[in-house]
Amino acid sequence: MEKVLESYLEKVSKYLKRIPVSERADIVKEIESGMCELQNNGKTSAEIIERLGDPKNLAKAYLGDLLEAGTGFNWNRFLALCAFYSVAGFSGMIIIPSLAIIAPVFIVCGVLTPVMAFVKMADYILGLGIPYMENIQIVFNGIEELNPVLGFVFAAAVGILLYMAGKGAWKLLLLYCKKTSRIKDKLLL
Amino acid sequence: MVIDSWKSQIKRGTLEFCILLMISKRPCYGYEIMNKLDTWPVLSAKESTIYPLLRRLLKDGFLSSSWQETAEGLPPRKYYTITDKGREYLAAMSQEWENLLTAVKGIEEE
Repeated sequence: MEKVLESYLEKVSKYLKRIPVSERADIVKEIESGMCELQNNGKTSAEIIERLGDPKNLAKAYLGDLLEAGTGFNWNRFLALCAFYSVAGFSGMIIIPSLAIIAPVFIVCGVLTPVMAFVKMADYILGLGIPYMENIQIVFNGIEELNPVLGFVFAAAVGILLYMAGKGAWKLLLLYCKKTSRIKDKLLL
Repeated sequence: MVIDSWKSQIKRGTLEFCILLMISKRPCYGYEIMNKLDTWPVLSAKESTIYPLLRRLLKDGFLSSSWQETAEGLPPRKYYTITDKGREYLAAMSQEWENLLTAVKGIEEE
């Protein structure tokens, strides 16, 4: 690629500095690809540059309404960013650790509860005499211990609820992170 | 000239329709689209119009893109493919286009 064309691409890239690096590289690569197609069809570098026009205008066409919002320092944007980081920081301090603890614990408990009740039930029905079974109890009303079969049904229901709650917490966590990063992207652009 | 400003207004919306229509037939790359549009002076558009338009359609999820190597020793080309969402959008556009043509005809024949 000739020097004039290279420096043209560099200029476009410079004017696109408000666009994230990976996207910017993709844009420049596409323009470069188009230049090579033109060259391949017998156009000279001067003709190509004339066709593409002022690099600033080409970059502007990509930025669209982004540029109209003003490139320089802007109080509203600054305040919006401050507000965003305050809210995201505070809410993140509570929401992220809570959900990150709730999700796995609930899921594990959701699985363990019915499994243990099942072992107890199997021990009761088949008379296996597994040790420490007296420690697994499903107590109703705080006094009355449930029959192990009924206990298993109850534990299975609780297990499903716990598991679903854990999954829900996990999804909420992902959603929270995604939403926050999307808002951040929008603010930074 | 007044007609030129009118033409550029008409072109703005029509280009989006034509490009989606073109890509809906088969995947295309930017230079190819420009060449095809050049066949009709009324639609002819330059890089500074086509590339940003393609990028917007990509961002809106109407198109997807992938870089593909060329056989001719040229740098890779960025091919655009229409998405399901793009097809829905195109169908709606075609409908509106028909409505527009019918309306113009209706007024002409009044």
